[in-house]
Amino acid sequence: MNSEDPRQVELDTRLRKVFGGLDAGAGFEERVMQRVAVPGTTAPRENLRAQFERRRELLRRRLRREAWMNSITILGLGACAGALLWRYASAIQQFATDAAPAVDANLLIGGTVAALGAALWFLIWRAQSGR
Amino acid sequence: MPADDAIIALIQESRAGEAFERLVPAYRRRVFGLAYSLLRDRGAAEDVAQEVFVKLWQALPRYDGRAQLSTWIYAITRNAAISAIRKRRRSLSLSDPVVQDEVESRGALAAAEPADTSLWRQVDALPDRQRQAVTLYYQEERKVEEVAAMMGLPVNTVKTHLHRARASLAAALRIAGLEVA
Repeated sequence: MNSEDPRQVELDTRLRKVFGGLDAGAGFEERVMQRVAVPGTTAPRENLRAQFERRRELLRRRLRREAWMNSITILGLGACAGALLWRYASAIQQFATDAAPAVDANLLIGGTVAALGAALWFLIWRAQSGR
Repeated sequence: MPADDAIIALIQESRAGEAFERLVPAYRRRVFGLAYSLLRDRGAAEDVAQEVFVKLWQALPRYDGRAQLSTWIYAITRNAAISAIRKRRRSLSLSDPVVQDEVESRGALAAAEPADTSLWRQVDALPDRQRQAVTLYYQEERKVEEVAAMMGLPVNTVKTHLHRARASLAAALRIAGLEVA
């Protein structure tokens, strides 16, 4: 910004004069040192430990809450499925009786196992990924 | 920056206390200047600078060297100053008559010649980024690159702000009858 224009040079000089003295007040460093030395201001190592403990406690609470939510979800789904089975038991029985001769027994067992496996995999994945 | 290298070496040796003792004098003016350029108030800038150094004291052991030390400190300062502005809810302006009286009573300005007081006011009337660039650039004969790092802007953008600010100031002073040279 060193312009050759004498008016700009003069402006630069005046701006340096105005802003050149811009600094914190006397005793600023001492006040900072006093603030970090007071007991209320935790030392870095202690601060880190406190932070670590706080985060661990928050994580523990979150996991407990999620475990409750997962249990309630599974119980709710189970109850709904049970109620549906109870309500439509006769229709399901009728359907199974009618379909049994037409469907291969191995296919029926394999399909059921695959469906249960997929559901179990989903629950495990959900628990591990924390979603 | 050699001072930064020494400070970083101390942090890596887990000597954060000694690193902090070196950091405060090395960055005092820069942190204060950056806070002032955003807040436009000496008292508030000093409060923010104090807060920044306390934060640095607490965060220093976590500094991992991924960002440059100065970049990290400038980012903390900018965030602290912006938080202070939000807390204050309204930005104080030197053109506000109430604040003007207060500002004129302050040491630096009270001691200034009338022409400098006028210049100060013209700078205050500049757009925020231009005013900030001018304050930081002329505070300590800084390079444009450093001003850019402090403001968190590209170098060319800062050059443009400085160029426009100087043109505006020259024109404003000419109109005010305080033409330079």
